[in-house]
Amino acid sequence: MKPGSPFRLLLLSMLVTLLAVASVPAGQVRAQELRIATAYKLMTLDPHYANLNENTSLLSHIYERLVYQDEHLDLKPGLAISWRATSATQWEFKLRPNVRFHNGSAFTADDVVYTVERIRDFLKPPSGGFRSYVSEIKAVSTPDPLTVVIDTNGNVPNLPLSLSSIFVMHRPGQGFQTTDELNAGSPPVGTGPYRFQSWSSGEMLKLARNDDYWGGRAAWPEVTFRVIESPAARVAALATGAVDVADAIPARDVASLKQRGDRIASISAARINFLQFDVGRETLPGVTDKSGTPIPNPFKIPSVRWALAMATDRGVLVDKILAGYATAAAQVFPSSLPGTSANLQVSPPNYDEAKALLAKAGFPGGFNVVLAGPAGRYPGDGESLQAIAQSWARIGVSVQPAAYPFSVFNTKRAAGDFALWYGGTSGEAVDIILHALLASPNADRGTGALNFGHYRNAAFDAMLAKAESIPDGPERNKALADATDFVMADQPIIPLYHFHHIVAYGPHVGSYVMHPRGWTTAMQTLPATE
Amino acid sequence: MALISVALGRLSQSVLLLFAMSLIGFIGIHSIGNPVFNIVNIETATPDDIQRATIALGLDQPVWRQYALFLDNVVHGNFGTSYIYHQPALALVMSKLPATLELACVAMLVAAPAGTGVGLLAGRRKGGLFDRTALRSSVFALSIPSFWLSMMLILLGAILTGWFPSGGRGATASFMGLEWSVLTKDGLWHMILPTLALAVPNIASIARLSRSGTIEVESLDFTRFCRAKGLSPRRILFRHTLPNISVPIMTIIGLQFGGMLAFAVVVESIFSWPGVGKLLIDSIQLLDRPVVMATLTFISVAFIALNAFVDLFHAVLDPRVRLAS
Repeated sequence: MKPGSPFRLLLLSMLVTLLAVASVPAGQVRAQELRIATAYKLMTLDPHYANLNENTSLLSHIYERLVYQDEHLDLKPGLAISWRATSATQWEFKLRPNVRFHNGSAFTADDVVYTVERIRDFLKPPSGGFRSYVSEIKAVSTPDPLTVVIDTNGNVPNLPLSLSSIFVMHRPGQGFQTTDELNAGSPPVGTGPYRFQSWSSGEMLKLARNDDYWGGRAAWPEVTFRVIESPAARVAALATGAVDVADAIPARDVASLKQRGDRIASISAARINFLQFDVGRETLPGVTDKSGTPIPNPFKIPSVRWALAMATDRGVLVDKILAGYATAAAQVFPSSLPGTSANLQVSPPNYDEAKALLAKAGFPGGFNVVLAGPAGRYPGDGESLQAIAQSWARIGVSVQPAAYPFSVFNTKRAAGDFALWYGGTSGEAVDIILHALLASPNADRGTGALNFGHYRNAAFDAMLAKAESIPDGPERNKALADATDFVMADQPIIPLYHFHHIVAYGPHVGSYVMHPRGWTTAMQTLPATE
Repeated sequence: MALISVALGRLSQSVLLLFAMSLIGFIGIHSIGNPVFNIVNIETATPDDIQRATIALGLDQPVWRQYALFLDNVVHGNFGTSYIYHQPALALVMSKLPATLELACVAMLVAAPAGTGVGLLAGRRKGGLFDRTALRSSVFALSIPSFWLSMMLILLGAILTGWFPSGGRGATASFMGLEWSVLTKDGLWHMILPTLALAVPNIASIARLSRSGTIEVESLDFTRFCRAKGLSPRRILFRHTLPNISVPIMTIIGLQFGGMLAFAVVVESIFSWPGVGKLLIDSIQLLDRPVVMATLTFISVAFIALNAFVDLFHAVLDPRVRLAS
């Protein structure tokens, strides 16, 4: 082909364009801006819409709570400076003076009334995520602009804990703000350390520092959250310096990030992953003897549950599957947190004793069972099913692992398709998990919402109810630990592990304070000192 | 008159197609699972919360009634509100459209000329070094999975060299009320790797098609006649061969373009490019039925429109088609 032919010209012009573009320096870092890649996709700007970390983690920059739960899960003053129970059914909260919303108006007791009323009375399902936190509130009154008196239906000793989940909104001129209004761009007005700049649902959130913040100016003038759901893409964004902080790092990527000079922070999550038995029904789907004939529900026998717990090798799960970024579990929270029992320790698997227990329970040859679980929902979930199947094979229990996408898993579990499954839960405190996971299902008391296995233990229910009536403090924690000791002796679930929240950060960040609830915020990110 | 009846025929076919698609999509997403478990926080919700949310979303109704209600709403231009984002579903899809559209357009602007050029050259020198290289690399480009190609591009272009960003849209500029990356330098910079990831397989398939077309056309009598007449090889290639092979190329460009609009899922996910494909796959995972249905409907309409456009273009390109009608 002769020079100057159209094709060659085309090629040449493309090359020139490419070179011209390539000479622009990539991604200059603007000083003092914090860029965070997060797995939490912000789905709505309504802070009361859904009780999901996906929303609350990011919205906590803009909105604040009356009471704040610190990284030891202790309650600390937030917008309230103090609180006390004035009677069995009444609480008094003293509010922080001189707090201003982002629009300049003062924060008063009336805003607390508005917040409670919006959640309790105004929002209609499906936006009812926080309703259960305020459903016990009978009336809210305001003797003066900085005092809130809350009357409850009955004794609610953990009302401050409940309110530690509730973001305080500002009362608008009239009526209530709807979720649509908040999503459509009327800027969210809170009292928090950062002001809202712009957002795109499921994509990004831009914040600017609130210079009038009551707690002093925040460290970063500007914060940009980028929602990156794929873990590999989050790791790549940090590795290329496109962001300063990336959360929910897979354990397998930790080593390579460290090698590149990024730093890692991690903490045991205030959550648990466990195996749950169906102990309610007489026969179970997928549970048969070795010849494939259905057998009566073996999980009704406590020693069968014990044998399976004894044959579960948590060391493999923690060390091999989660690369050490998990803590083996013997109860519902990591033992460093309040309300846990010092008596419950993880013991290594004992296959001989487990086999003997099974034989005594009438299953010398073991049985067949399908172990169901979600795949890709929790760190290590799908692989755990395989590892447990291998451990249990050593005592003659043949496990068929069955992993499903999370929504399919939930639908099938609700339909009663499973006999034994891998589950996970989290909560503000030990009692919340015990209340939902192990207490007998009871719609009136609101207990057992996650007790899908229909485990019932009246003595434990009584112990838990008693513990829940004790005000927050060492006495309550002791009672909760005793109740945990008591119920775990019956092994209604097999606790597996508390996975670690892992955050990685680059050179612009000095340190990162992990929170066991798994929040990712700019407040936890401290700038590097020059 | 003939034109009107053809258009009417196409239109009624399209409506039927949309109807069939909506039914399949609706039943499909319904049978995966119950979306209510993704809307309430399954780890904290009480059975009462779940029950209330189910009723509020109308999920307690039998599926045929839900579908009838959906059709009724769609006829009134309402695809419902996203379960997850609590925004109108169609508006949500449209807000993700610029990202996908610009990526697909730029990728096609790269792929179509590059693929055709490579194909023409390779076909003209059949069996030559260029032809053999092009043929082999096209097999390679077509057979590597797009997730691997994307990851290799990130590894080479972003992590090892640091030349390009590893993902995201970068800065955007507003045009006609929508946000476009293609209008800013930073945005263009972010587009390069995902564009390549989308373009490479398309370059390969277009190149193969135009190569075989060129070989076929070059052996025909009229090319020989051109040569005998003493026309330059360049003139024969661009004036005579290219128009003759352009009909199948246009068809494949139309199809591939539709595919990029709808199913650039893998590339969009890996480059965290917030487009329609990523929205679709996220929504399927979360069983966000209104968004899935709105996206599927949009994609079907786009495919129908593209096909109609390609057919019209045939008439422009091919005098035989033009004269027949």
